[in-house]
Amino acid sequence: MKERNTANTLKRILANCAVQVKDYGGCVAAKVPEVERDMCLKEFLALKSCMQKTYFPYLGEMSGKASSSQPSVGLSGSDAMSHVYIQYPPLRCDISGSRGLFYDDGNKLLLSPTSDQVFSWKTVPFSPLVAPTSDSISEGPILSIRYSLDTKFIAIQRSNCDVQFWHRETGETFSQRCGSESERILGFFWTDCPFCDIVFVTTSGLDMFAYNSESKSLNLVETRKLNVSWYVYTHESRLVLLASGMQSKTFNGFQLSSAGIIRLPRFDMAMAKSEANSKPVLAAEDVYIVTAYGRIYCLQVDRVAMLLHLYRFYRDAVVQQGSLPIYSSRIAVSVVDNVLLVHQVDAKVVILYDIFADSRAPISAPLPLLLRGFRRFSTSTSRSSREESESSEGNVVGNSEAVIYGDDWIFLVPDLVCDVANKFLWKFHLDLEAISASSSEMPSVLEFLQRRKLEANKAKQLCLAITRTVILERRPVAMVARAMDVLVTSYSHSIKSGSYFKGIRSEKVLPSSVPHVTSPYSGADVSATRVGALGKAVTLESAAGVDSDYVNRSSTFSALNSEEKASSEPPETNSSDLQFIDRKVDREKSMGAEISSAEVQPSSLQHHLLGQGNNPLNANVSEQQEAQLTSPAISPDEMYSFVFASVEEEMVGDPSYLVAIIVEFLLSANSEKVKVHSNIYVLTIQQLVRNERYAELGLFVINKIVEPSKEVALQLLESGRQNIQTRKLGLDMLRQLSLHQDYVLFLVQDGYYLEALRYARKCKVTSIRPSLFLEAAFASNDSQHLAAVLRFFSDFIPGFQNTSDHSTYYRILSEMNSSIAA
Amino acid sequence: MGLSSATTATEAIKLCIFDLRRGQQEGQELDKILFFFPAHLPFSTQLSVIGLSEGLITFTRIFSPEAACEVIEAERHSHVFYEAEPDIWMVMVVEKNETEAIWRIDALQKVLKEVHSLFLMFHGSIRALLEKEPAGGLIRSHLYPFIMDYLRDFLFGKKLLLPSFRDCLKERGTVQMLTVSREAAIEVQSLVKVLESCAGNTPCYSLILFQDLLVSTTLSPVDTINLFTYAVLRLTPRALSSGVSSWSYLRKGSTASHVTTGSMLAHSASVSEQVYGLQDTSPRGDNSYYVARPLQQDRWSKGKDGFLVTDIWGAEAGSSTSVTPTVWLQQTEERMYLCAYQYRSLTLILLVPVLSILNGEQGVSLLKQHVLENASLKMLKVEEKLSKGWGGENAYHVSGYRYLLVDGDRNVSRASPPGKVTTLTKESLLSLNKVREEVDLEKHQMESDNARFEKDMEVSIRAKNNAWVIARITKGKELYMVLEKADETLLYASDAVEKFSNRYCNGAFSLD
Repeated sequence: MKERNTANTLKRILANCAVQVKDYGGCVAAKVPEVERDMCLKEFLALKSCMQKTYFPYLGEMSGKASSSQPSVGLSGSDAMSHVYIQYPPLRCDISGSRGLFYDDGNKLLLSPTSDQVFSWKTVPFSPLVAPTSDSISEGPILSIRYSLDTKFIAIQRSNCDVQFWHRETGETFSQRCGSESERILGFFWTDCPFCDIVFVTTSGLDMFAYNSESKSLNLVETRKLNVSWYVYTHESRLVLLASGMQSKTFNGFQLSSAGIIRLPRFDMAMAKSEANSKPVLAAEDVYIVTAYGRIYCLQVDRVAMLLHLYRFYRDAVVQQGSLPIYSSRIAVSVVDNVLLVHQVDAKVVILYDIFADSRAPISAPLPLLLRGFRRFSTSTSRSSREESESSEGNVVGNSEAVIYGDDWIFLVPDLVCDVANKFLWKFHLDLEAISASSSEMPSVLEFLQRRKLEANKAKQLCLAITRTVILERRPVAMVARAMDVLVTSYSHSIKSGSYFKGIRSEKVLPSSVPHVTSPYSGADVSATRVGALGKAVTLESAAGVDSDYVNRSSTFSALNSEEKASSEPPETNSSDLQFIDRKVDREKSMGAEISSAEVQPSSLQHHLLGQGNNPLNANVSEQQEAQLTSPAISPDEMYSFVFASVEEEMVGDPSYLVAIIVEFLLSANSEKVKVHSNIYVLTIQQLVRNERYAELGLFVINKIVEPSKEVALQLLESGRQNIQTRKLGLDMLRQLSLHQDYVLFLVQDGYYLEALRYARKCKVTSIRPSLFLEAAFASNDSQHLAAVLRFFSDFIPGFQNTSDHSTYYRILSEMNSSIAA
Repeated sequence: MGLSSATTATEAIKLCIFDLRRGQQEGQELDKILFFFPAHLPFSTQLSVIGLSEGLITFTRIFSPEAACEVIEAERHSHVFYEAEPDIWMVMVVEKNETEAIWRIDALQKVLKEVHSLFLMFHGSIRALLEKEPAGGLIRSHLYPFIMDYLRDFLFGKKLLLPSFRDCLKERGTVQMLTVSREAAIEVQSLVKVLESCAGNTPCYSLILFQDLLVSTTLSPVDTINLFTYAVLRLTPRALSSGVSSWSYLRKGSTASHVTTGSMLAHSASVSEQVYGLQDTSPRGDNSYYVARPLQQDRWSKGKDGFLVTDIWGAEAGSSTSVTPTVWLQQTEERMYLCAYQYRSLTLILLVPVLSILNGEQGVSLLKQHVLENASLKMLKVEEKLSKGWGGENAYHVSGYRYLLVDGDRNVSRASPPGKVTTLTKESLLSLNKVREEVDLEKHQMESDNARFEKDMEVSIRAKNNAWVIARITKGKELYMVLEKADETLLYASDAVEKFSNRYCNGAFSLD
């Protein structure tokens, strides 16, 4: 039944979209065999939109019926996959008598005022179950509303020239009007600037006020006179962009951070003209301030050229850094974990870009947004079973609620979207698994994953899994080598910037704050923590988890800054980067330097033990770690235990491939000066010996590719049972490491007891029992040697002549001598 | 071809190979001679040399069936024996009367061993060739040019200079390694793995040399020595630009000697070709055997693509491309294609099983293509790294010391550069030669004792000119040393050894 339906639909689509199908097919065929991702993007989108149009009737029907029981394939037949999802249930902000929804990005609060109250929901950490808090306010029109950064005040813009303030504790109020009659207040925002608290943006510029607690009023501190048509501000970037000019395309920018005010050079945005004389006017909703990797960008929609221009802000320059194509008249931009999401709202798809990379190619093909955890839409994904079990507990919701890219969607900075019609707040998530599965270019996938901080543990696990897979599939060594290089470089960066240790440190603190290690859901899947209506304990947990996540993230930003400084800047400009939280950066950097100068080995080893101990025990604990890890960087120890060791067990056949991979890993580690633990060397030796490649093993040891250590030496001695040269290498290594006692012991074991004695005397090894030497001498059946050994101990160990050893062997010696004499 | 029969100097040396299983009946004695140098000697002389040797072997076998005689010291000659294969003996007879001709028997034996090993590598065993053609024409036509080509490397002017006491700080049959930093070593290993991956899944082997020094090998020790020896003789950049003298013990020829050889070749013809039915100039003539002569000089050159080419193995029928040489590996008993690539001072040898390449030359050129595509960049990098760390010909000179360090387990040796060794007085060298002979004797004793344990040994001798001549053996490692103008106390000598050992041998010789 279902199949027939699909077939029918396909038939209809093929009939209706013949032209587009042909175009797309032709495009692909023309480029075969060099098929690349997105090479026929234009044709694909045309075909897709046509298909959607053909297919929409079904969709419409379905969403019309409130309790439709017909199983659906998903939003459309071709969209079984997606890279971005929103997780059901949403945060519901439905308050009766609400006069609209406001977003206070300074405090990350969603505000919903009623006639005499304002309800606020914390959006960070994002939780659908968060309860609103309310404050009472007086009645009146509300143009805009924001809490002060210390949340002591509520500011409400009542009119074009009037802003009212509440002290939340005392209930005192006062208002501030704009200076002259001619100017209008366009908006306002609170700031953490050292000398002012709140900034009004008016048509004639910026007015900066400081709160005077004695007079309980605002004092004007500074004004900047400019003509302003509209403005854009995000608290995240602390940057306000003021548009002016006929076309509103000339911009003045100010960054008001805790470091003070920085004025950016004035710049114009590019706008294509549809006709020679037309002068399109840039609208506020076409400009986005975006923060990614600690850099501040501005994205500007050029509706005529159908391009999204990308500008990067430096302290003293604004540089255009390319343009992204757009395929929809309505565009929205979000940033999730430093990944740029360009929502093609009309086409109902989202395109992902990682602007860290120089390439402006999207990470993946345009794919729809997925609503996860909602019953109707979850059947086709690979993770369906999990989500179904989740959503089965959830309330039955009308399909109308789950509109994706509806007209009422308002996108909030950085990664939220508000469905105003339904009063839902959704948060965007990246599906790292899907993204990594969609590309075969493993090194670049790893690079992408290594840059992810939000779901660091998931990224890390994916990286490990990918690395394991490429090795098990015996991909070309050069390719695996690049993958290794990516991982090692990333680890070395994270060590230098300190983010790796930050993760570990918080991890160590963690266990005491986790009361639910033994929760009944321990065996269940990782996202169980986000399931609603499961009980208080779980809510607590997820809240705690994400909370610390947030803390970490804020520190990650600054870490990123320093990290970014280390990496090479684009060559076209050498002006310094525009940054925020400057002071913090410096502190962070100095701390990072301290850490990287410290000895790397012990703590990473500790982490290794910790990680290993926890992972198999309890899924919840590792999930807890996810929230704590700030970096997906993989240490050499993890590389060993989760990649090499586990791969080695599964690998069959010639081990030289694995050795080749390890060599590449060592090459990367060496060039990044990352210390490698001896277990990797031990593994290398085992592999070489298994293949009987003793000559190579000798080279590895002599050239110190395998760094000397006791473990390595013991492995060489062990492997040397079949090959005396290898055993000697092990013995030599013991000697060179000054492990005198072990050296002497092995010498005796091998029957070189006289040499052992000489060496023991030279290096003052006294801890080995004389009987060992005596036994060895006796075993060699040489009475002279036995006598020599006896004499040695009699001479050098006081009181030896009174021991039983002496008497026993003295007797044996005299027996031997008498038998010879006889 | 061959060395001049007219020169008297060469007559001081005789070299023969014979098979004890052949020619045991009266009148068929000539059958047992597989090779004789100088070839122009009358058969009666040849037979008398071989007869004497055979008699001695038979006699000594009565007492020592496993290892018959090694050497006979006559008044004017030394006979050096080497049983290359069961019942196939190589005997070298050297004259003693010259002042310079003071030999160390072990060194001469190693010469015999070396030429036989090389022969094995290219042509397989003598016995196998004999079995292939019992009449013996096949083996003779192989042995003669091969050994003559080999001996030519010892030719100085009109004289064959075999290793004498002056070469006592050298060890034949060992490999000289380049010391590399860890970083470079990893880079080299990475290159090795890339090279090996070029052949797909078939197991193949590689050898990497920098100048005349070994950097990496994946071959067994025996095969490594053979290929290394061959590479240094014929393939490395110095070998290619023949005439440039090398510091390696393997090559000491100079341009002058080649010229002389050339002129000697001109009138060398007669006897040898009559005896062995050998045609030197046109191998593709109506000659019954076509014999490749891998040791022929100046036949390798660098091709446009960086791979070394030679016409020694002939050209493929119907095309101008020359046939890729093949070698026989002793370890795996497999025939392998030998592909050598050269980039500046770096020489790479890749060995791929003949059986794994289905369509012959075409497959080989495909493989070469793979190598160029995948490994070029890495070779560049490795060459650069090694060049940077390369200390030149005198890199391993330790001032004040003249030494030879042999690691018997890994068949590796390192020695003072020859230029520095020549500064030693003749007396010192003679004493060292003597010491080495003693040590050789002791070593043979140990071997024949079949001792499970390696014994340590220590000899320090005060020689003329205030010199110390020292030999140390510990756990398979040997150190020979000459300290001239040295303090007279033994303590001084042992301190010097200790210092050297700690500094350059990881303390291997400072055990007590």
